[in-house]
Amino acid sequence: MTPHRIALLFNANKVYDRQVIAGIGHYLNSTRVEWDLFMEEDFRSRMRDIQQFRGDGVIADFDDPEAPDALRDLHIPVVAVGGSYHDPASYPVGIPYIATDNARLVRLAYDHLIEQGLARFAFYGIPPHPGSRWAQEREHAFRAIVDDEAVEAVVYDGASTSAGGWGEAVEELVAWLAALPKPIGIIAVTDARARQLLQACVIGEFAVPEQIAIVGIDNDPMAQLLTRIPLTSVIQGAEEMGRTAAHLLHQMLRGVDCSGTRVLVPPVGINVQVSSRYQPVRSPHVMRASHYIRQYGCLGIKTEQVADYVGVSRTVLEEHFKRELKQTVHQVILKHKLDTACDLIANSDTPLADIALRCGFTSLQYMYTVFRREYDCTPRQYLDLHRKPMAT
Amino acid sequence: MPVSNATAWGQLPDGRPLHRWTLRNARGEQVDISDLGATLLSWQTPDRFGRLGDVVLGHADAQQYIASNAYMGAVVGRWANRIRGGRFRLDGIDYKVDRNDGGNHLHGGHDGFHLQRWEVEPEADGLVLRLVSPEGDGGFPGEVHVQLRVRLEDDGTLDLRYEATSDAPTPLSLTAHPYFNLNDRRPDIRDHVIRIDADEFLAIDAGAIPVGRQHVSGTAFDFREPAPIGSRLHWPDPQLRLVGGFDHCYLPRGPAGGVVRTVAVVTEPSSGRRLTIDTDRPGLQFYSGQKLTGQAGRQGDTYGPFAGFALEAQAFPDQVNGPEADGAILRPGNVWRQHTRYRVDTP
Repeated sequence: MTPHRIALLFNANKVYDRQVIAGIGHYLNSTRVEWDLFMEEDFRSRMRDIQQFRGDGVIADFDDPEAPDALRDLHIPVVAVGGSYHDPASYPVGIPYIATDNARLVRLAYDHLIEQGLARFAFYGIPPHPGSRWAQEREHAFRAIVDDEAVEAVVYDGASTSAGGWGEAVEELVAWLAALPKPIGIIAVTDARARQLLQACVIGEFAVPEQIAIVGIDNDPMAQLLTRIPLTSVIQGAEEMGRTAAHLLHQMLRGVDCSGTRVLVPPVGINVQVSSRYQPVRSPHVMRASHYIRQYGCLGIKTEQVADYVGVSRTVLEEHFKRELKQTVHQVILKHKLDTACDLIANSDTPLADIALRCGFTSLQYMYTVFRREYDCTPRQYLDLHRKPMAT
Repeated sequence: MPVSNATAWGQLPDGRPLHRWTLRNARGEQVDISDLGATLLSWQTPDRFGRLGDVVLGHADAQQYIASNAYMGAVVGRWANRIRGGRFRLDGIDYKVDRNDGGNHLHGGHDGFHLQRWEVEPEADGLVLRLVSPEGDGGFPGEVHVQLRVRLEDDGTLDLRYEATSDAPTPLSLTAHPYFNLNDRRPDIRDHVIRIDADEFLAIDAGAIPVGRQHVSGTAFDFREPAPIGSRLHWPDPQLRLVGGFDHCYLPRGPAGGVVRTVAVVTEPSSGRRLTIDTDRPGLQFYSGQKLTGQAGRQGDTYGPFAGFALEAQAFPDQVNGPEADGAILRPGNVWRQHTRYRVDTP
C-alpha cells in the first residue's frame, strides 16, 4: 500500500507549531503509520496553492486566518489545529478541530499568581490582529476570570512589535508599569510578550518578582535565553494536540466521520521560575500566623497551635517563617511576649509578677531568664529605665 | 509519635464500634485510615507552595462509607474487579459468587472486604490490618486470612504490603481503591496529566468484562507519553464510549509477580503535585471517575463526574475465567503477596 500523502500546514518557526509537529511525529512512530509528509519552508505559499495539492489529507494551523477559506473546497480530509474560542460559533463548521484551551492556559497562570499571594492582576496582550485571535481569546479569558472573581485588574495591549516604533512602545510600556499599583502579578499573552515586560521592568527599575510578578505562556526556550530573570511560563499541551490531530486524520483516512469532533487540550504544566516567585514581606501563612500570634501570643500558645490555625504542618510553617522572617515560630511568639511585657513595664503600673503571667511566661523567674538572655538586663532594670511616672 | 491512638469513628449496623488512626511523617503529611474496610480516609500532602491538602476523595462519616457503592478509599476483596456472570470453575467445581454489578461479580460482592471491620494493630511506623474472610464469603471457597501492613514514609510514599493464606483453593485479588484528586481546589481531575507504562490494555464488552488484549498504539489509551486525561475523553474511541470514559485494565511493562516497578505517574499542573504508583501486580485498572456523580463528599457536598480517578493494582479482571486463571488462585500452603506503593510529592 502506498503511504498517504499528507500536507502539514504550519509555521514551523515557532516553538508551539514545532511541538504540534513533534506530536504528529510521535503518533506516526508509535503506530508505524506511514505518511508521506509535505511541509514547505514557506507555509504561506503552500496555503495559497493547496488547491493544487494531490494528496490524501491535511493538518493545518487554523490560527492562520486564510486557512478556512483556502481549505474549504478541498475534497480530502482536513484536521484543524488552533486556539479555543469562548463563542462556539467561532469554530469552523464540519471540520474536526484540535484546540489549545486558551481559557485553561490563562486560568493556570492566574491561579499560580493567586497561590503566590498576589491580590492584584494585569494582563499584557497584543493589539487585535486577524492572525492572533488566540491572543484576544486569552484576554477574554482573563477578563472573564477577574470579572467573575471581582478582583482588581487591568488589561494592556500595548503596541505591535515593530522595529520603527519600538523605542516609543517600550517607553509606553514602562509608563504603564509605573502607573500600576504594586505588588501586582501580570500574565503575558506569550513568552515573547513576557520578555518585553521583563525588559521594561529592568528599564523602569521595577523589582521582579517583588513588585511585579510575571507569568508567560509557551515555555519558549528562546525567551528563557534572552531574559536575565528566569521566566515562569505555562506549558501548552502542543505535542498532545499533534498526537490528537494525527489520530483524527488517521481515523478519517479509514473512513471514520470525525467532522463533529472538537478536542480542547489543557496545559500540561507550568515551569515555575524566579519571575513569579513573589515573596512578599509576609506570605499568607506568615501573615495569618502573625495575626494569630498578635491575638493569642500571650496565652501560652505553642508552634503547634499556630500551625493548626493556619492549616499547615509545623514543618511547613517553620519553613515559611525561616524563609520570610529568618526566625522560628517560637522566636516570633517569644518576641511578641517580650514586646508586650516591655510595653506593660513602661506604660502601666502593673507589678512584674503579674506582667509575667499576663504575657504568658510560666513564672517571674522565667521572664527574668528570657530578659537577661534577650536584652542583657533584668525586668527590674528595664523598669527603672523605662517606666514612666503614672499620672495621679 | 508517628501513629496516633485509635479515635472513635462511628459504628457498624450491628453496633460494633469503628475507629480511625492517623499516620504522620517527618514532612508533616498525614494519612487517616479506618478499620472499616481498611479505608484510606484522608491523605494530606503539601502542594508546591507547602500547603497541605487532601489528595484522596472521602465521605463525611462511617455511615456514608457503609451506604456508598463507590468503594471509596477501601481495600477491596476477595476479588478486585469483575467476574463474568459471577461464575468460575476451580479444580472441577463450579462456583457461583455474588452478582452485584449487572449480572457480574464486582469487588467481593454484597459484603466485600470494604464493608468488614478489620483488626488493627498500630506499629512504630505504621499499621497492621488483619481480616479473616470465612469459608463461603461472597460465595468464595476457603477461609482466607489477610494481613495488610501500611506505612507512611518520609518521602511521601504510602507503602502497602499484603499477605494472605487460605485453607482451600480460592481466587484472590486485592487492591486499594483510593480516588485521587491531586488538586483539592478543583473538583475535576480532567486536567491531570497521566502516564501509564503499558503497551497493552484489556478491551472490554458492554458489561466491562475483558474480551482481549489490545495494543495501545494509535488509540486514546496510549499514555506511554504523558497526556491530559480530559482531552483524551473526546477521542472517537468505541472503548471509551462503552463506559463513558476510562475503566480499563492496563498491562504494565516489566515482569509481574514479585518485582515492583513504576507503572503510572500522574501530575497536576496547578498544585504541582505528582503521584507515582509502583506495584508488583500484573494489572492496573485505570478508572477516570465518570460515575462518581452524586457521591457524598466530606463536607455535605456532592461529587460530580470525574471528581477523582482510581489506579488499582490488581490481577486481570475475570482472570479466573481466562487462560491465566491459575495465576489468580491462592492454594493452601502458599502465601499470596502483593506490594504496592503510592508516592505523592512535588518535583
